[in-house]
Amino acid sequence: MRRILEQTRKELIQVVRDKRAMLMALGIPVVLLLLMSQSISLTVNDLPIVVQDLDGSTASRVFIDAFRASITFRVIAWPVDEQPEVAFKANAARAALIIPRNFGRDMARGQGSPVQLLVDGSDSNTAQLVSAYAKEVTSAYNQSTGGVGQHAGQSGPIHAAVRLWYNPGRSSNKFYGPGIFVLMLSLFPPLLASLAMAKEGEEKTILQVYVSSISAHEFLLGKILASMVIGLAQWSVLMILLFRYFGLVIAGDPTPFLIATVLYMFCVAAFGTMAGAAIPEQASAMQAVALFGFLLVFLLAGLIFPVENIPVGVRWISNIVWGRYYIEVVRDALLQGGGWPAMWSQVASVGGIGSLMYLFAWRKMRRMQLEA
Amino acid sequence: MRKEFTQIRRDSRLMVTMTIQPAVQLLLLGFALSATVTNLKLGIVDDDQSIESRALVNALGESKSFRLTGTYGSVNGLARALSRGDLSAGMVVPYDYGRNLKRGADTTVQVLLNGVNANTASISQGYAQSVIESYNAGLRSNRAGESQIGRHGFVVLQPAFLYNPGLEGSWFLVTGVFGLLLLLNASLVAETTMIRERERGTIEQLLMLPASTAEIVIAKIAPLFAMLCLMVVICMLLIKFAFQVPFHGSFTLVTCGAALCLLCGIGVGTTIASFSKSAKQSMLLGFFVNPLLFSLSGSLNPVEGMPKWMQPLTVLNPIHHLATIARGCLIKGSGLSDLWTNFFALAALTLGLLTLSIWRFRGQLS
Repeated sequence: MRRILEQTRKELIQVVRDKRAMLMALGIPVVLLLLMSQSISLTVNDLPIVVQDLDGSTASRVFIDAFRASITFRVIAWPVDEQPEVAFKANAARAALIIPRNFGRDMARGQGSPVQLLVDGSDSNTAQLVSAYAKEVTSAYNQSTGGVGQHAGQSGPIHAAVRLWYNPGRSSNKFYGPGIFVLMLSLFPPLLASLAMAKEGEEKTILQVYVSSISAHEFLLGKILASMVIGLAQWSVLMILLFRYFGLVIAGDPTPFLIATVLYMFCVAAFGTMAGAAIPEQASAMQAVALFGFLLVFLLAGLIFPVENIPVGVRWISNIVWGRYYIEVVRDALLQGGGWPAMWSQVASVGGIGSLMYLFAWRKMRRMQLEA
Repeated sequence: MRKEFTQIRRDSRLMVTMTIQPAVQLLLLGFALSATVTNLKLGIVDDDQSIESRALVNALGESKSFRLTGTYGSVNGLARALSRGDLSAGMVVPYDYGRNLKRGADTTVQVLLNGVNANTASISQGYAQSVIESYNAGLRSNRAGESQIGRHGFVVLQPAFLYNPGLEGSWFLVTGVFGLLLLLNASLVAETTMIRERERGTIEQLLMLPASTAEIVIAKIAPLFAMLCLMVVICMLLIKFAFQVPFHGSFTLVTCGAALCLLCGIGVGTTIASFSKSAKQSMLLGFFVNPLLFSLSGSLNPVEGMPKWMQPLTVLNPIHHLATIARGCLIKGSGLSDLWTNFFALAALTLGLLTLSIWRFRGQLS
């Protein structure tokens, strides 16, 4: 045990001495968390929409004002005699609202008036959002003019009262903040761990370790413990950011979150050490960690796109992506508050994958001696 | 220059990583990523248990968007399931639902959605409302014959999706990921080649050659560029045949855009290389630059989703321009007259980055 701690102390001294590494460990994640969590959101505001009012009556103006007042749309002027497709092709608008010539007359007569909404479908997700928002604006307009709701009129007898739980403001920061938080923790601690390990291989100092009395387990645990300490330092800095800047709070029993954090730190540190042991060359080891840590966690862990949407043939991969479980735990702790009954399997998975990584690292470590 | 070609050809591992790896990534990402919302797990609390309420539950269950996963005896049970993550949506039907309908009165059902993912929540809210609306329309036709007098007009919104009527999500993603892969791979390759010269000290030899620095840099870039073009062709074929993206516009226009983007990527790579002293340092710089380029590109997510002050920054991002060009040209059939600003921006960025790296390169003599 004392030898493990000594090894940890040595590693930490090495890291602290390297100013650039310290900056990378604490500075870059903070900047990236701030920028990325805001820039990757799929929900949209202020979409440019073309309105072609072929009617020009009071009624049609009131209807257009309903769109103008919504924060989702930004009405841009477009001449009546030009096709709205031109706006789509020039990327000037995402949708076009076309009000027919006799809109005002139909409204006065008490008839339904068909209004066309053309949506640029090349971004299918945004297209769906646009059409859903436009429907909401329209039904609000219908209700305000009294066209519906009375006498079981247009909207029919059943009303849906929709409640959004856990994130009622539909703030996407609160969803992506924790995701990017996990991404940062999956990228930077293993990066440092792999660098430290690959350096031993590159500079052949690993041979000194073999002739010393320290055992492979002690050596590895020492290295991993050092990475965990750095990782937890990052974790605290990022958590402060999440609380202060993103306005998140702990939503329930924090113990599964805390335990999962320690296990996850072990997991990523073991992963970095394993990569460093397997590829005793600093640049290549970093590349490998970046590929797995960044790409897999970014794309297959449900960070932006839900895991359920991944086709079945590829979905099994996400079962072994360690970040996936931790993302679920973090989101649960900060938003849903499900506690132990909801999260025990995720916490166990993080621990399990971590131990597997450690096992691989240990096996690689024994082979390194032959290669060095 | 010939030396560079032979060096690349000998490095067969690089060849493989440059051609196979992007193809696999494109396939994997294109098929794996999708923000579409289907099969939402729906839980029901039916306090009414009448024929009418069952019909409504069935109407929701029949739609492709929802999948009935369970019924709960009380709202508390439903709430627990939602917080455990077993459900992503819930509906509560009140006890007087059937009675109200029979009387001809209005009634309200509660729809609970897990709002943690704002995007999914918005879309599933739209689904729930349109399912209930169409169910209402069915009820209305049964209730015809009510008085028409005193009714106000109403708007019937008819949405139509242009260019992609099936709302195929992969078209958007694939065209975005295309630019992403081009830029990342180009910058990575350029970076490692330049750094290798630096670390081995062969750079002094190069600088002593009777050739101008611009010539040296171009000679270094040309073979890389040729190899990366091969990658472009493979990716384009995949986009066409594996993802069935329609090629409405001009093929040459997209290829020109891709070539410009490659040059830009090489520019990014050489610039990073010229600012760092070792492979380790350049990787670190890459870690900072690439995720930013990646997330500020609008290749996986709409630019409008970014905060206001960030949106103008996408003008500086080559991935953004290529994604716009590829989407405009392939899916919408736009021509050069619509996209010239993007081409211009790409060319300007390329020129700027290459000049910067040549200038830095020359400065390294001292």
